[in-house]
Amino acid sequence: MNEQQQMLSEMADGLFAEHGPTATVESGWPAIAEVALDGLLLAEDQGGFGGSWEEALTVFRLAGYHAIALPVVEAIVAAALARRSDGRGTVAAVTEGRIVGDRFSGTLSGIPWGGGADYVVAPAPDGGAIVVAAQAGTLDTGRNIAGEPRDRLTVQDAPVARLEGNPFALMALARVAQIAGALDATLALSVGYVNERKQFGRPLAKFQAVQQALASFACEAAAANCAAMGAAQAMSRGSAPFEIAAAKLRANRAIGTGTALAHQVHGAIGFTEEYQLHPLTRRLWAWRSEFGGDAYWSAQLGGPIVAAGSSAFWSGLTALTG
Amino acid sequence: MRALVAEHVDTADPRRLANGWAVPDPAFSRALGAAGLIGMTWPKAYGGHERSPLERYVVLEELLAAGAPVGAHWIADRQTGALLLRYGHEDQKARWVPGMAAGEIYACIGLSEPNAGSDLASVRTTARREGEEWVIDGQKVWTTNAHHAHVMIALVRSEAGSERNAGLSQFVIPMDAPGVTVRPIIDLTGGHDFNEVFLESVRLPATALVGVEGDGWRQVTAELSLERSGPERYLSSTALVLQLIDYARVHPSESLTALVARLAAETWTLRLMSASVANKIARGEDPALEATMVKDLGNSFEQAIPELVQAAVEVDPAGPEPLGLVLGHLLQLSPSFSLRGGTREILKGIIARGLGLR
Ligand SMILES: Cc1cc2nc3c(=O)[nH]c(=O)nc-3n(C[C@H](O)[C@H](O)[C@H](O)COP(=O)(O)OP(=O)(O)OC[C@H]3O[C@@H](n4cnc5c(N)ncnc54)[C@H](O)[C@@H]3O)c2cc1C
Repeated sequence: MNEQQQMLSEMADGLFAEHGPTATVESGWPAIAEVALDGLLLAEDQGGFGGSWEEALTVFRLAGYHAIALPVVEAIVAAALARRSDGRGTVAAVTEGRIVGDRFSGTLSGIPWGGGADYVVAPAPDGGAIVVAAQAGTLDTGRNIAGEPRDRLTVQDAPVARLEGNPFALMALARVAQIAGALDATLALSVGYVNERKQFGRPLAKFQAVQQALASFACEAAAANCAAMGAAQAMSRGSAPFEIAAAKLRANRAIGTGTALAHQVHGAIGFTEEYQLHPLTRRLWAWRSEFGGDAYWSAQLGGPIVAAGSSAFWSGLTALTG
Repeated sequence: MRALVAEHVDTADPRRLANGWAVPDPAFSRALGAAGLIGMTWPKAYGGHERSPLERYVVLEELLAAGAPVGAHWIADRQTGALLLRYGHEDQKARWVPGMAAGEIYACIGLSEPNAGSDLASVRTTARREGEEWVIDGQKVWTTNAHHAHVMIALVRSEAGSERNAGLSQFVIPMDAPGVTVRPIIDLTGGHDFNEVFLESVRLPATALVGVEGDGWRQVTAELSLERSGPERYLSSTALVLQLIDYARVHPSESLTALVARLAAETWTLRLMSASVANKIARGEDPALEATMVKDLGNSFEQAIPELVQAAVEVDPAGPEPLGLVLGHLLQLSPSFSLRGGTREILKGIIARGLGLR
């Protein structure tokens, strides 16, 4: 990390730790907007930071680490795609409807923190992306299983602008980074807990079964972090359709082992509302489905590999990772 | 690289493409040596090529992914040559290293003994000084390739009465020295890869001591880092992934595509992790903890592949379909993947220590 990245990382770390999983947009967003963090990926001449995908990875990972209940990640991706430095954007997962000329009628769903947003970027039904003003339709609010807002916007004959880029894949990459961060936080919480909690006259950490379980978890967390880094580096080189697919598949796998072992070593306390494990694990379970679950990304990754045949496998893979 | 492999690798028996780093083929080793692809990072004065560690890494990956039979020289190239160059006496370096780089001299690893497996610090083979010579007595076991090897580096107790990891030293032992006897151990597939090695009053010159007397444990720990961090620790079952891809092409189904995707995602991730370890080693760092994680994840992955494929495909693991042959072969070999080079439990113990749990 260079000096600028170090500063960015420290700033995000402090800010996200302060607001954490109990933040609300009303109370927390002004602090994010004040430092214009949502312009991280936006070019400097468009009013942004001109940050790289590696820098975005750092911020997204920290957002996951602190389970921050603010749409930081979505706003950064939306601003980058819409090339806007005004207002707060967010990104819909699913678009149903039709574009006729420069008008759109239909529904955008899976919108994180749609309430109070200024604009929504969404996958276009025919490829690429669109952006719609959030005020252009009616918003139905909902929540994912971690309690994060996931809303639906229904519009009739609303003006849309077309954008380049793939919002679905970029949000999948963002979720991979958040998963990596949340897994690291879950691991740290688990290691801390087993070093403190005593049974049979000694800390749980001294039991080999517990050590081996957390060693397995550490490997999974490391794999998710490496996958996130690989996909971000690929984005920096241009586009990363296969890397993002591979990274989301790998990170999703790590969630299963990681959350199961974290809850196991915590015992009953980890199953309570009061203890701070669930803001991490419930988010991990939700993010596993968001912006493409295993079925979706398996088809995206596996289809072309099978079609190309075994002789192209290794050369394709090494071309992917550079 | 890819051309050289295509020219030399015999694809007639697809089983030979699996776990290729344990398949010896001296003719192939000599061809690689002649092409400058062994001892790539070693000094030219010892037959090496003074290439960067990352160039070497890319070559290794290509060889393994292609299932090339690199077993004869693998250990010499991976650890023995490097160990000798770092710690060996000038006479020993001159005697062994150039032949290793040429793909003509092969090595074996003398660590395990009947009563020293995971608990390596309990080795009992001894070295005692007699005038200018060392005399070795004891037994090694599970010694891969001892029957092809020209030389062994053994970890032995050089200080009488010492315990645990104190008083150990490493020695270079020529496999044709009087008193060295190799007996085959046949593995469960009927194959002959590892051996028992008996060492009875084997007399060695003073120069056979590798490094510092009594410093064997520290040296061996560094050697194990080399042994554990390479790409061979996740690619042993790649031949089966390749077979599966071609099978899925002919028998398209969503579930096979999903399995291919899962295996590809894992291979991609492990490659990144393994390359990152290689990068750190190349920069002179010692990423021991990360290397241990890559080996543990990699071994579990290569071990899981045969079972996953068996569950996904209706094929006879006895053949004659190539997919079945490779599957059947790897099903039987795969238990060894989480044993050789340090067991899963021992690796996880190292990781747990890194996490601050012990
Ligand atoms: C194919 C193959 C090739 C090999 N090649 C070589 C070679 O070339 N040279 C060489 O020196 N050795 C070689 N080995 C030996 C290898 O290093 C040992 O098998 C390994 O270190 C384990 O020792 P062991 O077999 O005696 O098992 P043990 O140490 O007896 O272990 C048996 C089981 O108990 C577990 N266990 C042991 N101690 C603990 C503990 N403290 N906590 C929890 N679980 C524990 C182990 O993890 C394992 O599951 C080879 C082995 C194989 C399978």
